[in-house]
Amino acid sequence: MLISYNWLRELTGTSLTPLELRERLTMVGLAIDAVEEKDSDAVLDVEVPSNRPDCLSHMGIAREVALIESGKIRPPSSKPASAEGRAADLTSVEIRDTDLCPRYAARLVRDVNIAPSPAWLTKRLEEIGQRPINNVADITNYVLHELGQPLHAFDFAKLSGQRIVVRRANAGEKLKTLDGVERTLDAKMLVIADAERPVALAGIMGGEDSEISIQTTDVLIESAYFNPDAVRRTARKLGMDTEASRRFERGADYEDVLRAQNRCVELICEIAGGVATEDAIDVYPSPMPTRRIAFRPARVENLTSLNVAETDMKFILTGLGIAHTEESSAVWKCVPPTWRIDIEREEDLVEEIARHFGYDKIDSELPPSNQSGELQPRELKIRKLRRTLQTLGFDEAINFSFIEAAHDNQFELIPELNTEDPEHVFITLKNPIIESEVRMRPTLIPGVLNSLRHNLNHGVRSVRLFETGRIFAKLNSGELPNEREALSLIATGGAGEENRAQALRETDFYDLKGSLEAALAAMNRGPLRFTKAQVKHLREGQSARILLADGTPIGSLGRLAESVSDAYKFRQPVYVAELDLTRLLAAEELPVQYAPLPRYPSVVRDLTILVDRQITLEELLRTIEEQQVDDCRGAQLVGTYEGANIPEDRRAVTLRIEYRSDERTLRDEEVEERQRGLIESLLRQYSAQLH
Amino acid sequence: MAESQSQEDPRTQVEAASKAFEHEFERFARFTGQSAAVHGLTLDHAESEQRALAELRTRHLGKKSVLANCKKSIGRVATEGRAAFGQLVQSREAEIVSAIEQAETKLKDHIQSARTLRESIDVTLPGRRPRRGHLHPITLVRERLEDIFVALGYAIEDDREIETDFYNFDALNIPPNHPARASQDTFYTIEGLALRSQTSTVQIHAMQRRGAPVRMIAPGRVFRRDTPDPTHNPMFFQVEGLCVDRGITMAHLKGTVAELLRRMFGSKTVTRFRPSYFPFTEPSAEFDFSCFKCGGSGCRICKNSGWIELGGSGMVHPNVLRAAGVDSDEFSGFAFGFGIDRMVGLMYELDDIRLLFENDVRFLEQFD
Repeated sequence: MLISYNWLRELTGTSLTPLELRERLTMVGLAIDAVEEKDSDAVLDVEVPSNRPDCLSHMGIAREVALIESGKIRPPSSKPASAEGRAADLTSVEIRDTDLCPRYAARLVRDVNIAPSPAWLTKRLEEIGQRPINNVADITNYVLHELGQPLHAFDFAKLSGQRIVVRRANAGEKLKTLDGVERTLDAKMLVIADAERPVALAGIMGGEDSEISIQTTDVLIESAYFNPDAVRRTARKLGMDTEASRRFERGADYEDVLRAQNRCVELICEIAGGVATEDAIDVYPSPMPTRRIAFRPARVENLTSLNVAETDMKFILTGLGIAHTEESSAVWKCVPPTWRIDIEREEDLVEEIARHFGYDKIDSELPPSNQSGELQPRELKIRKLRRTLQTLGFDEAINFSFIEAAHDNQFELIPELNTEDPEHVFITLKNPIIESEVRMRPTLIPGVLNSLRHNLNHGVRSVRLFETGRIFAKLNSGELPNEREALSLIATGGAGEENRAQALRETDFYDLKGSLEAALAAMNRGPLRFTKAQVKHLREGQSARILLADGTPIGSLGRLAESVSDAYKFRQPVYVAELDLTRLLAAEELPVQYAPLPRYPSVVRDLTILVDRQITLEELLRTIEEQQVDDCRGAQLVGTYEGANIPEDRRAVTLRIEYRSDERTLRDEEVEERQRGLIESLLRQYSAQLH
Repeated sequence: MAESQSQEDPRTQVEAASKAFEHEFERFARFTGQSAAVHGLTLDHAESEQRALAELRTRHLGKKSVLANCKKSIGRVATEGRAAFGQLVQSREAEIVSAIEQAETKLKDHIQSARTLRESIDVTLPGRRPRRGHLHPITLVRERLEDIFVALGYAIEDDREIETDFYNFDALNIPPNHPARASQDTFYTIEGLALRSQTSTVQIHAMQRRGAPVRMIAPGRVFRRDTPDPTHNPMFFQVEGLCVDRGITMAHLKGTVAELLRRMFGSKTVTRFRPSYFPFTEPSAEFDFSCFKCGGSGCRICKNSGWIELGGSGMVHPNVLRAAGVDSDEFSGFAFGFGIDRMVGLMYELDDIRLLFENDVRFLEQFD
C-alpha cells in the first residue's frame, strides 16, 4: 500500500526521514518495499501483513510511527459542517440481514456543487496511485486512505423511494457496477438496495445508476461495517478486488463508522459546499462484543527471552491503544482497540511488546543439545543409490508431479499400482495450473521421457537420467491415496563419454540392466531377478520384469516400444526402467557376514553348448544348480554367440564351472567325471549339442 | 662330412670358415663401426635383419658350426702346433663374435628406439573414462541442509504430499476463510484433498508420532498454484524446521537460523529478524541475511538493499501445539521454513528457476 510521507508527517509530526522510516517500520513488521521521491514528497510502498487491516491507511501507519518515536497522533481536523435537519426525516435505513451487515450509517449532504477537486486533493490522491474523479467521490476516497474506513456516496435523487435497504440479493438479480460491468447476483450476496433494486454491491462497489454526476445535488454518504467473509466470498465469486473490498474482507473498524462519515461530510461541506443533516441514521442493533485477554507479563520473557521492564510493556500497550489493568502482578487484563482485530490472545500481546521493544534485542543462541540427529534409514539408502547412479553416468532429473491424462493407458504401472480397473487408479486435480496436466503421476516414466525429448531437441543425443519421487494412485474410497517412492532410469545414445580416446558404443539393454544392478547392490538390496515379460510400453523381446529374490515383482525394464518412441519422435533406441522403491526399501537387507577363504584351490572347466535361442541363461544355471554335483561351486557366463556357422534358431553359450572341495585338492579325473555328468544332463534337458 | 673335414688341414678349415663368415656378414657390416647405417631402416626391416643375424650367429658359432668342430679337434692336433692352432681358432672366433655383437647392439638399439617411437602416444588426447553423472542442484543443497541439521541434533522427517485439510490447514491454525485455502492458491484433487502447500504439515505428523520434546526438519515437495515464470513454479521444495522442548525461546530460533546461514553462506553472514505474520506462529518473524555477494553494500542479487529475504519463522502457535497433542503450558517451540529452490537460485545465481525442472543435461552438468 502506498503512503505519502507528507501526509504521514501531518498526522504524526515525525522527525524521521523517509529512509529512516523505511528502516524503523520494517523492523516493527511493516516492510517497506520501496521509497519513491515525488516532487517535494516521498511515497512509501508498505507491505502490510494480511492480519493488519488497521494499517491499510495513513492513520494506521501513523499509530505505529507515533509509538516508534514515543510521540502522539495529531488527528485530522476539519471545519464543522453546516448542518440542518434530521436524517430520519429525509430517508430511512433498513438492515434485513444483520449477520452480513452489523452496522450501517447514512447521512445526507444537500445542495452540493459537484466539480473537480482542488489541486491539493488531486495531488495527494495521484501520489498514492488514485485517479481523481470529482470532489465528492475523491473525498470518500481520501477519507478511506486517511482513516481506513471505506465510504460510498450515492446520488440521493436516484434512490427510488429515497431509502436504503440492506439485504441479500435475489438469485439472478442484476446490477451494473461503476466499472460498467453488468453483474448477475446470487442469493448469498449482500446488496445495498433502494425501494426497488440493488444500487451497490455491499462493501465492494457502487452501482452505475446512482453514481455521482455533474447533475447531482444531494448525496447520501454510506459508512458501514460488513461481514468480512461475506465480502470476500462475493468479491472472489465476481472476480472483483477493490480498495473497499480489500479492507472489509480483512476486517474494518466497526467503531470508526461515524467518525469517518463525519470527517467525510465535513470535507464535502468545506470543498463542495452544501448543507449536511445534523445527524446520521446509525443502525447498529447489536454492538460487537469486547475482547478481554488475560496477559501474564512473564510470558514475554518465556517466549522471547527478552527482559522487558513492566513500565516499558505498559508504554507499548498504551501506545498501541491496548487498555490494561493489573488484576494481580502476575496477570493483567487487556482490551485491544476495535481496529486491532488480530489481537486475540496472550501470545499476540507478547508479539506486540516484542516487536516494539525490538526483535534485534533478542539474544542469539543454540538451544541446549540433548538429542542426537539422524537421517532416515531410507534417506541413507537413497543417497547411496543417487551416488552410484551418478558414478554410472546418470544425471538426476526432477519433474513436476502432475502429468497429462493422455498418458493414462500408455504405460504399465508398477505392480503395486497396477489394477484390473485402470480408470479408478488416477488421482485427478480439480484445479490444475497447466490445463492439460490433471493427473498426479502414477508413474515417473512420462516425466523422464519429456526430459529426454527436451534434451534430444537441443542436440544432445547421449542421455542418461534418473529420477526418484512419489507416484500416486487411488486406494479404496475413504482412504487417502497410495503414495509410493519410485525410481526411474532412462538411457539412450552412446554408452560412454563422447569425444574421448575411446570408441563410442551404443547403449543397449544390458547397460541399463547393469546400472540398475549396481545401484541396488550399493543399497545392499538384491540380487534382483529379471524375467522375460510383456510390458505395455516396452518392446517385445527386449523387456523384462524385475523381481526381488523372493519372486515379488517390483517393476520393469527394457527398450521403449516403437509406439511410444514414435509418439515422442525418438529416432534411436531408448531404454527405460521403473521400479517400486518403497517396496524395495521394505525388502530385507542382505546380511553382511564373513565367509572363510577357501583352503584348497578351485578347478574351473569351460563348456560351450548349442541351445535353442529361447533357452535363457537363468534356465541353464538353474539346471546346473539342480544337479547338485559334488564340489560344484556354481557356473558363470563366459559369453554367448549367435550368427555365422550356427543355425538361426540356436545360439552357443559358454559357461565356466567351478569345482572346489573344502577337504582336499581335487584330482583332474574327479573333475572330469563331474563335468561329464553335468554336460550330459544339460544336453539331455535342452536337446543341446556340445559346440 | 666331419670325417672328410677332419682329414683336411685344420688351419685351412678355420680360415675357410672365417672367410665364409666374412662373406655372409658383408650385408651386416654396415651396422658396425662409427657411422653405422641403421638410420632410415624401418622397424620391420630391422627386426628381420635381427633375426637373420641371429641365424648367422648360430651357423657360425653354434654347436654344429665349423668353428665349434675345430675347437673340439684342438686336442687332436700334434703337440707342437696345438698352441698356435688353439690361438688361431680363438682369435677367429673372437673376431666373429665381436662383429656379430657390434651389429646386434646397433640393431637392438635401433629397434628399441624405433619401437618407442612407433608406440609413442598423444598424451593430450582426452583420457578414457566412463560418463559421470550429476546430482540435481536441489538435491545437493538439500543434502547439505540435512547434514547441517543432523549435526545440530535434528531428525529428518517426511510425510504425505496429498493431505487432508486437517494437516494442511486446520492443525496449522489457518482460519477457515484464509485465502491460502482458496482453490486459487492450493491444488485440490477431485476428492477434495489438498496437495500440501507447505511442509509444515510434517510438523504435526512428527509431533503426533514422537510427542515432545522433538527436533526435526522436513525437506520436501510442496505445491502452490503459481503459473510457471522465471521466479515461480507450481511445485517447489521447502524445508521446515521444528524444535519443541521446555524453555525454548525466540533466542534459540535466532541462534539456530543464524548458525544455519553461517554454515551455508560463510562465517561472516549476519541474520536479521523482522516481525511478520503467519497463522501457525506467534510471535512471528521473517528472516533476512546479509548479502553473500556484496557483503551488505548492495548489489543486483540483494536488489541494493544489502539483505536477502529467505524465510518465515516464529514461536509455534499454541493452537498448533494443541492440535498435535502437545501441552503448550509445559512446552514451547520454534519453527522456521524456507524454499530450497530459492536458496539454489541464490547460490547459483539462476535467472530463471524453470530451468530446475526442465532437466536439460547442459544445465544439470554444471553442478557438483
